[in-house]
Amino acid sequence: MTNIVTAVWAWGGRVSAAARDLVQSAGTLAAETGGELGVLALGTGAQIAADTLRAAGADVVLTCEEEALDTAPGEAGLAALVAGCEVLRPSLVLLPADSLGRDWAPRLGYRLGAGLVTEVTDWSLEEGRPVFQRLVFGGKAIATMTVAGGPAIATVRPGAGRRDEPPRAGRGEARDLGLAIEAWPSWPRLLRRQTEERQGPGLEEARAIVSGGRGLGGPEGFEPLGELALTLGGAVGASRAAVDEGWAPPTWQIGQTGKTVAPDLYVAVGISGASQHLVGCSRAKTIVAINRDPEAPIFDYARLGVVGDWREVVPALTVALKEMLAD
Amino acid sequence: MHLVVLLKRVLDPEIPQSAFSLDPERKEPTVLRHPFVLSVFDGNALELALRLRDARADARVTALTFGPRAAEDVLRKALALQVDEAVHLLGDENGLPAGRKARVLAAAIRRLPPADLVLCGRQAADWEAGQLGGMLAEALGCPCLPFVSGLSLAPGGFEAVQQVESGQAVYRLPGPAVLTVTNDPGNVLRPARIKDVMAARGRELTTIPLEELLPGTESDEARVETLDLRLPAPRRRAEILDGGGAAGTAALLARRLRELGAV
Ligand SMILES: Cc1cc2nc3c(=O)[nH]c(=O)nc-3n(C[C@H](O)[C@H](O)[C@H](O)COP(=O)(O)OP(=O)(O)OC[C@H]3O[C@@H](n4cnc5c(N)ncnc54)[C@H](O)[C@@H]3O)c2cc1C
Ligand SMILES: Nc1ncnc2c1ncn2[C@@H]1O[C@H](COP(=O)(O)O)[C@@H](O)[C@H]1O
Repeated sequence: MTNIVTAVWAWGGRVSAAARDLVQSAGTLAAETGGELGVLALGTGAQIAADTLRAAGADVVLTCEEEALDTAPGEAGLAALVAGCEVLRPSLVLLPADSLGRDWAPRLGYRLGAGLVTEVTDWSLEEGRPVFQRLVFGGKAIATMTVAGGPAIATVRPGAGRRDEPPRAGRGEARDLGLAIEAWPSWPRLLRRQTEERQGPGLEEARAIVSGGRGLGGPEGFEPLGELALTLGGAVGASRAAVDEGWAPPTWQIGQTGKTVAPDLYVAVGISGASQHLVGCSRAKTIVAINRDPEAPIFDYARLGVVGDWREVVPALTVALKEMLAD
Repeated sequence: MHLVVLLKRVLDPEIPQSAFSLDPERKEPTVLRHPFVLSVFDGNALELALRLRDARADARVTALTFGPRAAEDVLRKALALQVDEAVHLLGDENGLPAGRKARVLAAAIRRLPPADLVLCGRQAADWEAGQLGGMLAEALGCPCLPFVSGLSLAPGGFEAVQQVESGQAVYRLPGPAVLTVTNDPGNVLRPARIKDVMAARGRELTTIPLEELLPGTESDEARVETLDLRLPAPRRRAEILDGGGAAGTAALLARRLRELGAV
């Protein structure tokens, strides 16, 4: 029997699609073992989010709406998570591999004396023990890992462990965690957020993504890429090299240390195809590579390829697609 | 003001898949002939520390690594960039549980003058765990702020810019704290001058043998076991389209995309 705990951020009562996915697949896993799923919903609006989480398969939803979560999400969230684990006594904690989940996991692991496996892409149960898959060495190798001799914690990448089944029915109890969190003077305090405005869909939900790399040669290259993306109703992404050059903001980065995306179409322009980039777009249905080097590793990965200078290929593709879509 | 930066020596993460192979017995990559480098995000962390020191005359930077004799490379690199002190925690870190590794590093840090900030990489560019920073903060009993890309002095402490999914978040903190650092155009590690590289070769390192710190750090925490390490399955090569000239090729590509249901 495996009792599982997950934590989700529920700001303004909203739960992200990725968090809902996580709760649903964690619920299925808990049910397979005869265990229970407890979900911690954190942030102002957690009580409103509780219904969504119950529908996704939670047995128990513990809510925490303390103000400290707004000014010190990392530290206050950790305090709530520790308190929640004392109540729910999980043998497995699954956290989303996002900036908060990655923040909490090692610290919670230390406090619980748990074994931590990060960036998990899939899991299974073997003799009651969770077995995790994850990419290591920049996506150049796949490791299978397990935890023995104590509780396990995993941070899971979007889509991990997803089974195409409806959510199982949990007990659906919801109550307040009952924890008062006082911010300590030593805690980092949030002064402000600078949210980037983006035209069109975000990378996580875009059906088409056009990504640019170092081969663009400068920030100007992102303009024709933007036009192609607009034609496709999609979004623009970037490789780490393009971000490091300062041609694109860090929020556009796709890959191991950037975003994981799953569009229908992914067009990689002037990107060589380093493993660290590919792990971010491997869930795309169709990958197209435009690169002037026929030996570029991206051609061993993409479905379709064009060997040529993006300066000619990209504008021509925009024109061809406009014509085709106008028909 | 004292800043400690953690530096790890790793197998060059940029070697291509085609040159990468595994030793199935040891469950580690084969390292024959491959170069080792400073883990990338540790370079970003070092740059942030050096910038703070540039801004404040009394600030001191200590570089700290934990690893075998060869790990000294990364300390020499830091010395060439004028860090004030280089500390080598000498021993085999492979196979140490993460929590234990954090405890010995914390013990090494406690031997130094009190640190206002400890900076490390968001994840090491080998096993990519991304866990040491948070665990170290716990072992030191201080807060942790992850994914920092920018750092400056502010009244009563520091201001740090954190990269999050939707953009940036700006934090104020008094320290001491552990920061894990991520890359950004503003924190690319500066190059060293040749003459400083030469001078760094002869500089004294402070060495702490692991055995001095190990007693008292035992614990009964859970263990993570690697059951298997393998290469990803090879993919089929792309269908290369050529319609004779950009316009023809683009039209061909558009058609194939429609056939595949991608547009
Ligand atoms: C720990 C770690 C994490 C990382 N995380 C990420 C990550 O999240 N995301 C990521 O992207 N990378 C990541 N990287 C970096 C990764 O290893 C590569 O360095 C990076 O992806 C290379 O970017 P690139 O393909 O744009 O540049 P390059 O490798 O320099 O490739 C440029 C390509 O452009 C082509 N080109 C040049 N001119 C033209 C032209 N006119 N027309 C068409 N093609 C042209 C070239 O042939 C070449 O193939 C990470 C690295 C490490 C070590
Ligand atoms: N052996 C080590 N010596 C020095 N620093 C380390 C060591 N291991 C990890 N670190 C630091 O901790 C960060 C995260 O490592 P990890 O949790 O292993 O991914 C690295 O980027 C380094 O800054």
